[in-house]
Parts: sequence; C-alpha cells; structure tokens
Amino acid sequence: MREIEFTIDPSTGVLTMHIRGVRGPACGDIAKVAADLLGEPEHDWNTPEYFLRPHVQPRVQPRRER
Amino acid sequence: MSKYLQFDDIVFKDRRLLLAALADVGYAQVEEGQALPLYGYHGDRRPETAELVVRRRHVGSLSNDIGFTRSPEGYVPILSEYDQHTLRGGRFLTTLRTAYSERVVEEVKRRLHGTTQRQVEGSLIKIRMRF
Repeated sequence: MREIEFTIDPSTGVLTMHIRGVRGPACGDIAKVAADLLGEPEHDWNTPEYFLRPHVQPRVQPRRER
Repeated sequence: MSKYLQFDDIVFKDRRLLLAALADVGYAQVEEGQALPLYGYHGDRRPETAELVVRRRHVGSLSNDIGFTRSPEGYVPILSEYDQHTLRGGRFLTTLRTAYSERVVEEVKRRLHGTTQRQVEGSLIKIRMRF
C-alpha cells in the first residue's frame, strides 16, 4: 500500500512528509507534487526503499506462424 | 509608528492555498492586485507594497495592513513589528504556516486521489494518506 505520512508541527508550522511503498524514482515524482506547493525542501533524503527497483513483469508474445 | 518587517524565510508558494489558509485563520477578505500600498494604523501610507493585502480594518483597531509580496519563490509576508508581537499572541505567522501546511496536505490528497486519517500525537499533527 502506498502511503504518505505528513507531520505538521504547530509550534513552527513546518510540514514534513515521509513517502512509503513507492519504489524508485516514482517517489521523486510524488515529492514534486508537494514541492510545487511548498517550494524546494530544506532537507531531502531517500529511504532504502527508494533504491529498490520496481518489479516489471516481462511480456513475451508468441510469434504468429504464417 | 511600527516598522514593517519582511520575512524572507517564510514563503507561501501557492496563492490559492495561501488565500484559503488566511480564511482558515480568520482573514477571508483579502485585496489582490499589483503593488498595492500598505497603510499603518494611523492611515499613513507606507513605502512597502504587496500583491495580497489584508486591510487593517479586518485585523484590529491598532493593527497595520498585512501584506504578502510576490517573489520568484512565492509570497513573502510583510508584517509590522507591532503585529508580529501582538497578533494571535505573537504566533500569527506560525498559525498561518500551520493552516497552509494543512491546505497543502488537502491539495496533495486531491491530486493523488488519496484518503486520509488525521490524529494528534503529543504536540504534532500526523496525517496518513493512502493512495
């Protein structure tokens, strides 16, 4: 399950977000949605999940015999 | 007379969310335009200008206009020294920033078609969004 945990500290108003369940650079695409609204983050680091490669199922189609 | 201070380290990137956050903290009437003049509590025109202005009549009888000037990074608040110390017990910008952050979460939820659960943990607001 893909999830984002947002934490807002009312003593500062600062928002932090933690993206889970999204492998690879797709995570960066989601972070960009937030950056569009917040500006570039002061701190940005990748969790180990980021470095996992998305699993892609190869599709092989049989050749049609003439 | 209270001088105006510009808070460059606090930037609100999205105009629509900033207007919504201002409404959330009680300032729904905002003047929008180009280089609008700011007025002090005596009605004196100040040299500072802004693109979004909450007029002092909506803030308080001793207050000055609150402005937000547009920069390449977003909207930067311009607030008088007096209001910085008195509005919401000196926590106006923090409260506005918190309201803006909540609006950001709502907008991310809308864009990613997510569902959220909100809870308060100690002094922190935690919002978990699934999408």
